[in-house]
Amino acid sequence: MFEVSQYTFVAAMVALGVGLALYVINVFGPRGVRALSFNTGGTQESDSFSSAMKTAGRYGTILSVNAFGFLTASLIARWIAAGHGPFSNMHEFSVAFAWGTMGIYLYFEQQYHARSLGLLVLPIALGMLIYASTLPDDMQPLVPALQHEFLLSVHVAVAIGAYGAFAVGFGSSILFLVQQKKSMSWLPERTTLDEIGYRSVMIGFPLMALVIILGAVWAEIAWGRYWSWDPKETASLVTWLIYGGYLHARVIRGWRGERCAYLLLLGFAATMFTYFGNYFLGGLHSYG
Amino acid sequence: EFRIVGRVWHFFTSVRLALILIFAITAAVFAGTMIDHVPPSVRSDPAAYSQWLSRVEGTYGVFPTKVFDFLELFNVFRTLWFRALLGLLTVNIIVCTLNRWKGIWRTAFPPRIRMTDAFFQHARFNARYVLNEPAEAAAVTVRKGLKHARYRVSTEAGEGSVALYADRNRFSRFGTFVSHLALVLILAGTVVGGMWGLSDPEFIVPEGMTRDVGLGTDLSVQLEHFTDEYYTEGPPKDFRSDIVILKGGEEVKRGTVRVNSPMTYDGMKFHQSFFGQTAVMAVKTKEGTSLYDGPVPLAWQTREGNRPVGNFTLGSENLEVWVIGPKSGENDPLVPAGEMRIEIYESSSGALRTATNLSQGTEHDVSGLNFTFVREGRFTGLSVVKDPGVKIVWVASALMIIGLVMLFYMPHRRLWASCKEMPDGKTEVRLAMTGQRDSQVIAEFERVRQRVGKELRGRHAKDEPEQGGNHV
Ligand code: HEM
Repeated sequence: MFEVSQYTFVAAMVALGVGLALYVINVFGPRGVRALSFNTGGTQESDSFSSAMKTAGRYGTILSVNAFGFLTASLIARWIAAGHGPFSNMHEFSVAFAWGTMGIYLYFEQQYHARSLGLLVLPIALGMLIYASTLPDDMQPLVPALQHEFLLSVHVAVAIGAYGAFAVGFGSSILFLVQQKKSMSWLPERTTLDEIGYRSVMIGFPLMALVIILGAVWAEIAWGRYWSWDPKETASLVTWLIYGGYLHARVIRGWRGERCAYLLLLGFAATMFTYFGNYFLGGLHSYG
Repeated sequence: EFRIVGRVWHFFTSVRLALILIFAITAAVFAGTMIDHVPPSVRSDPAAYSQWLSRVEGTYGVFPTKVFDFLELFNVFRTLWFRALLGLLTVNIIVCTLNRWKGIWRTAFPPRIRMTDAFFQHARFNARYVLNEPAEAAAVTVRKGLKHARYRVSTEAGEGSVALYADRNRFSRFGTFVSHLALVLILAGTVVGGMWGLSDPEFIVPEGMTRDVGLGTDLSVQLEHFTDEYYTEGPPKDFRSDIVILKGGEEVKRGTVRVNSPMTYDGMKFHQSFFGQTAVMAVKTKEGTSLYDGPVPLAWQTREGNRPVGNFTLGSENLEVWVIGPKSGENDPLVPAGEMRIEIYESSSGALRTATNLSQGTEHDVSGLNFTFVREGRFTGLSVVKDPGVKIVWVASALMIIGLVMLFYMPHRRLWASCKEMPDGKTEVRLAMTGQRDSQVIAEFERVRQRVGKELRGRHAKDEPEQGGNHV
């Protein structure tokens, strides 16, 4: 089982890498082709080229769905091999992070058909997988503090959902800012990007609330205190409050677009700080 | 005085105030997280506190330490001003929410049912059909379609026309209240915990001993056995304490406390928190009178060398004895394995009288007394907590999630319809929906339109509806 999880992990990484290359062709290809056909004056060729671009996009999606499938298999295999949810060290967290990001991204791609979003979000997932592959992947048994099967799995599963949603919000806000600077026909419209950002917070904000609550429930069971201002706790609270600020700015102040996009960038910076926080903050969460 | 109340009210309706408060709280939390915390027991003892301060001066510098101390930053989460900020934010949230109540109440309940033609023409989402039947019959059909789409419908019949208003998930509007109420309750829960809660995060019981819990209770805890187990790979597998809880000296409960599985008695919870080594010491006078016989928990670490250390006093001799164990996992030149080092101080002056190493099981004459390091043992460190605010916090947490789900996943949708007979006897049916220009609202309108369209077509197959939806 452990080998199965390793093979599927590598397969996921390769599929995602190739898929991502196809996304690049799909998104940037038509522009290159247009430039080319302008020079040669040939329309015949450019037609077959642009259909090739579309095919590239389709296969890109198929590959990233496959990568998601492989990674799911890898997680399940590791779960079986370890006998507990594979969420006990930084390697496992990072694989889970990539998984959540890919899952939520694919949902958004299916909803909005915006592969250009994938150009920003999928590299985050790929980066997490590469990062995970540099960490020792041997399975460690659970130390006493983590021995709460249910809470460990749910707490982390919900967290990666929230992180994935915030990664999508990050991608959409970057695209928004690019689009703002110089209007590009191959990017989704700005209102769509703004909406994607908002929807990502609609998913991420309640999930993050749940992460914090589940963490508090767990801390209460393990240490008798539901809140200890532990650095990771505090960082996730601050992250949540930033996204809360985003929601309030929209509802109360009617903010849309650019300022919202900057808030989402700030939010994702806080998310990454929360994720890697145990490296430079220590505290009760330092199981890395 | 009504004006004053009005002003105060107005002051608290300000969103800017909320932002300032949230910013201040965030800054305080940030400071509180980055700066060392003084343990409560040290803070309440002026001498210990000034000693603690002089130690952190080494880390932060003399002046910053003075500033931090002045602002109580070493103890932020327990200070009055931090709680005052939380209190102000609470009032702010309550007032803001109440202030919105009227507007929200209005949108949640059936508003005007009959809308103008202009409204139907200009609504962001609209559709139009023409039917070959009277307005009343058309209205029944439209109503059926809306009901199928799970909308709640109210109608208002008029002269040759019927107006309809339909909505779903109107309670969603209260999601804002529910989630803000949750925030207030969470803050309330922490205050209740702070005022009526009891806790000792470092309750130490050596093996074989019974210790009083204190905290105003007559409970005591006896540790029968502490066990730490390790996986063959090295990491810890299990820490558990077999304990007996006594009330007024009578056994009332017995069991095993593990990390992640605390024991509860009468609202008081006992959590496995830490553990360590004890040195069982025996001290006698030259004449053989026993002055001390029992375990000394080595619960602290020496500043240099990080050796486990603990102390006990010999009251009759006016002496304080510090017991220092060997560093774990390495060869310690100062305290070789199997030995304990003792340092004897005079309680009154604090002067060091003598220091020496004791090997296990042999009697040593030190400073006119007879010392024996009998054997090593274990102690358990329990965290003892009683927090009546926890339940409030859990209820509030559930409300928070419920409120957010209501807001985001059950959005309130509102729709108006009008069935109006035209001079030629046909009936014009119009639908209009308000809402954000976003794909979910578009999809929802599409869904409703199809439902209603299906009903209309079902009755009048040959009458193709004229579709006018211009959703921009
Ligand atoms: C950290 C604390 C807070 C959280 C987590 C929070 C959460 C929320 C949420 C989730 C919404 C709904 C957003 C939406 O409909 O999309 C909201 C709306 C709102 N909040 Fe807060 N809130 C907080 C503090 C405050 C405070 C202190 C005030 C008072 C100034 C306030 C005033 C409002 C108002 C006026 C609305 C709009 C209500 C509406 O349009 O229905 N909030 N808040």
